[in-house]
This record gives sequence, structure tokens and C-alpha cells, in this order.
Amino acid sequence: MQETLMMKHAVGGRIFIDSSKQTVEYVWEPSEAGWKFVVNTPMNGEIEELLRLKTEINVFVFQQVEGQPMKKIWFYVHEGPVTYDADQAQLTVYARSCIEYFPGDYLS
Amino acid sequence: MIEVYPAESRYTSDLGWLQSHLSFSFGEYYDAKNANFSVMRVCNDDFLVPNRGFGAHPHSDMEIVSVVLSGSIRHEDNLGHVAISSFGEVQRMSAGTGVIHTEHNPSSTEELNLLQMWFEPHTRGLEPSYQTSRFDPDQLQGRLLPIVSQQGAENVASIQQDLTIYLSKLAAGEQIAFDQSSSRKTYLFVIDGACSVNGKTLLPRDAARVEQESGLSIVADQDVFFMLIDLP
Repeated sequence: MQETLMMKHAVGGRIFIDSSKQTVEYVWEPSEAGWKFVVNTPMNGEIEELLRLKTEINVFVFQQVEGQPMKKIWFYVHEGPVTYDADQAQLTVYARSCIEYFPGDYLS
Repeated sequence: MIEVYPAESRYTSDLGWLQSHLSFSFGEYYDAKNANFSVMRVCNDDFLVPNRGFGAHPHSDMEIVSVVLSGSIRHEDNLGHVAISSFGEVQRMSAGTGVIHTEHNPSSTEELNLLQMWFEPHTRGLEPSYQTSRFDPDQLQGRLLPIVSQQGAENVASIQQDLTIYLSKLAAGEQIAFDQSSSRKTYLFVIDGACSVNGKTLLPRDAARVEQESGLSIVADQDVFFMLIDLP
């Protein structure tokens, strides 16, 4: 299975993290409050913007299994928290809930 | 204070199937000084070619209003709503904790032109909801006709924010007053024709952002069709 992590601005879709375009180490897992994402990334302009707009980010995981339609999972971050640890160069994002969908299920 | 934003000052993006004129920062267009006016975050003047549209995508914590100016739009979402709207109809989506939806032009021949506006809700984390409403285009002449408001009404979509969206058509020479409180803000957008707002001229697709004014006088310099939004 191929997986992509993407974090975008919810207003218009500016991309802050796209693991298909840049090498990004990340893990995501269930947490007590919903879901937790930890991304190893140096501080840069995109991360600064993500943190500035942290209440308005869309987090996606795209999962592609060969021969099957792509599954998209969208995560509702709400109030996060969204934090950055400069010592660890780690971004941590908590999401409250998620919706799974297959784009092909909708007429577009 | 009335600030006029000429139509040509808007950012235009052209994807071939979609031409968008953006009044506020959106997507590839980002200007930190033009990210909102009051709770209004987006006003996109979109033109979609036939049989094309936006694939499935999410929204959250935003009140999204689509006003069809010509053609028709088909909406489908994960809550089970499917609707096709044309001129005289309004779609309002409270994205709240999350909605997945598609929007596309279902016609095989006719271009779609819609105004899509996004507003911050009064409260984040609301239950998602969707509504269509229908107004009578014959009622637009010579009055400010509410089409969206917080309380909603028959023919008026409800929205989770303290705002009202009006549409109006005035004949050349006709005048209308809007009793704006100086503590409120007003966004005015000319869809067609020309008018003056407290003496400031607006041409087709020009906008005015009004604040700290008590009372607006809108005079039709020619037959005019415009939208006025009363904002907190």
C-alpha cells in the first residue's frame, strides 16, 4: 500500500506538507482524543505558516492499494493541539475525528 | 469609510474548466492583508464549463453560501444531500465538524456562474448541515431582498452567523437606503450594471467594503443588480 500524508490550509488549499513531493518521516496513530500525527521536519516557511493557521488546517492520509480505488481519510483538527518541538524538529498534530471517503463514490 | 475594490483588482485563476475571480486570499493567491472582511473569508466569482466541477473534498467550521447567477450547480455530500440549483436558488452548507462534498456543473451545454462565499461561523464544532432555499426573482426589483440570514425564514436560508445577505435590482435613477449601523460592516458587490454608494461609483463586479458609516444611499446609475451583505 502506498500512503501519502498531506497538510493543507482549509481556505483554498495551500499545501504545507505533502509526503508525495518531499521526503517526510511521519507516524500517525489513534490517541485518547482522536488521532495523533508526528512529523519529523525542520522549521521552514511552510511549517511557520501551518502553525500560524493551525486552527484552519486540513490533514489528509491517502491510501492506495494496487488495483483498488484510492481511499482518502480527512481529519478534523478543530483545536488540535498543534505544536512544534524545535529541539526534536517535530511537528505534532492532534485531530479530533475523521471521515473516510472514496472520491469515485461521488459524481464529479 | 467606503473602500472600492474594482473588478480588475481581483485575482484571476484559470484552470481551463474553471475561471475564478477571487476577492480574498484563496488557494494560490495569498495576501495576508486581504484574507477577510469581518467574518467574510471568501468571495469567489466562479465560471465552470459544462460537465465539470470540484471533486470530493472536505470542509469544516465554515458557513458556505453559493448563489447561482446563471446555469446550474449540482451538490452532493456525505450526509446524503443531492441538489441541483439554478438562478433564484441558494445553497447553504454549515460545514461544522466536517462535510465531504462535490460541486459540479451538470449541464452539457450551459456555463455555470456562481458566487461562492465563505463565512466564519459564530461557533466552531457545530453539527454539519445543508440547506437549499428559493427566492422569487420578481421580488428583487426596488428592494433589498434577504436571501440568507441568521434566523432564516420562508425563502431565506439560515446561517450560523450574525449576517444577512440581500440581493436587489434597481432601475436606472432609482435609489434605496440601507440603514447601516456604524458598528456593523457592509460588503456590496455589483453583479451587473452600475450604482453609486454614498457617491462612490461601482461598476460590474466591483465591490465596496464599508465600515464606520451610518447609513448607505445606493443610487442606480444604470439598471443595476447587486448583492449587499450586512456583517458584524
